[in-house]
Amino acid sequence: MSKTTEMHQALSAFDKTTSRWGRITMIIGLFLSLAAPAYLVFFSGLDIEVSSVLTAFAALAAVFGVIWIVEPLTYFPILGASSMYQAFMIGNIANKLLPAAMIAQATIGVKPGTRKGELAAVAAICGAAAVHLTSLFIFVGLLGTWLVSVIPTDIVQTVQFYILPTVLGAVIVQAIVSQKAPRSAVIALAVSLIVIFVLVPLIPGMNLFATAVAVIATAVLAWVLRDRKAFGAAKNVDEEAIPEGPVY
Amino acid sequence: MNIPALLPAAADSNSTDILAIANSPVLWACAIGVFLVIIVQSVIYMKAAKTAAPHIGMTQDEIKTSFRAGAVSALGPSLAVVMVAIALLTIFGTPAVLVRIGLIGSVSYETAAAAIAAKTAGAELGGPTYTQAVFGLALAAMSLGGAMWMIATLVLTPLLKRGDSALRKVNPAIMMVVPGAAMIAAFMVLGIAELPKSWIHVVAFLSSAAIMTILMVIAKRVNKPWIKEWALGIAIILALAITYAATRL
Repeated sequence: MSKTTEMHQALSAFDKTTSRWGRITMIIGLFLSLAAPAYLVFFSGLDIEVSSVLTAFAALAAVFGVIWIVEPLTYFPILGASSMYQAFMIGNIANKLLPAAMIAQATIGVKPGTRKGELAAVAAICGAAAVHLTSLFIFVGLLGTWLVSVIPTDIVQTVQFYILPTVLGAVIVQAIVSQKAPRSAVIALAVSLIVIFVLVPLIPGMNLFATAVAVIATAVLAWVLRDRKAFGAAKNVDEEAIPEGPVY
Repeated sequence: MNIPALLPAAADSNSTDILAIANSPVLWACAIGVFLVIIVQSVIYMKAAKTAAPHIGMTQDEIKTSFRAGAVSALGPSLAVVMVAIALLTIFGTPAVLVRIGLIGSVSYETAAAAIAAKTAGAELGGPTYTQAVFGLALAAMSLGGAMWMIATLVLTPLLKRGDSALRKVNPAIMMVVPGAAMIAAFMVLGIAELPKSWIHVVAFLSSAAIMTILMVIAKRVNKPWIKEWALGIAIILALAITYAATRL
């Protein structure tokens, strides 16, 4: 058997194993992640209507629907098929898995996009997963539960009441910095201010649609008002450019 | 259907004691299940990589070195995620935080998703309207949203693998502009909607944004990437401390 056919066979065996087991494990992960809320909705005795879950899901789809599809498309050329099933289950792709893969490739001196690079990335993501699972289990699973039980109630209450504005304040800045799209950021700010301070008080029932309206209006305006020098001719866009930000 | 035996003294739709239900054994079992699935997947992938390596001219040492490099480089980002996760424990409970924030999802999308879901029920995350039923609704919405990413991955990966797929030919300028703008807008409108609630909400929002901005400027000036990594966690913890001080005024 020649060297090339041997290599070809080894790689197709690798592809076969990773895509078969990658898919199987991801489907089990998907099932388990849905089992928890399914239990709460159907069996826990909580009064949650299926129709209200669907309403909430529709609101979410209006806001994030595009991103659900675009993110896998964005990461595929960088991660390769086998790592896709790892990355989208382990999470924190941009801030953890991609750097891990790149550092591993640099350490052993292989290029991304090559087969050696792909194997190095798979091994690096396994390493990252090992560290991540361990630290989550110890510091959040074990110590976190204990920590919450000893924190005074007035601090817990402050966290509960004000966590949302606190998280969002920082996340907005991070998103603006990582997206490097100042025009979109200005449009988003203007649209959001109009929606929250003008439309919501004026139109009864607007509150429910505020997020979706702002997102859709911003997306349309950002496209219409885009910098045509940079984005006008579609061909000039660097396909490899990826958002480095707080993506999935 | 009711299974009271599994839920001692819990399951009261109108109770704001979220943790009674959020830390229920069934949710723990699901969370541990997700951990195990990822472990199994990693073992299978490592084995496959080790088997394939020698045939393409890679030594076992190079695979081991890659594993170690990935592990070491993940230390910082993992602990940064841990820090944010702990801040959210009292809102979502440990199992949901482990799965949604720590693993499958990320803090920004999951918190936004939970807030959007609560809003459709006329409630708010945290606070007196955040009942057990609202928590259940929020977790359902977060999980369904996360499921869409996984389903998109499961459907798109084989299609993209076929190479010259029509999907890659979508106008790349739209791909560059629209998702980024949508993402910024989602966080922006949710954040600004917090402002009219009270002056303390304003303090929380502005202090967190200000600390984040300062950290980003410092990270750029001194060119230290680890600051970017830790920025979200630091901003959230410091802003919560400032907010706590504000509530005592």
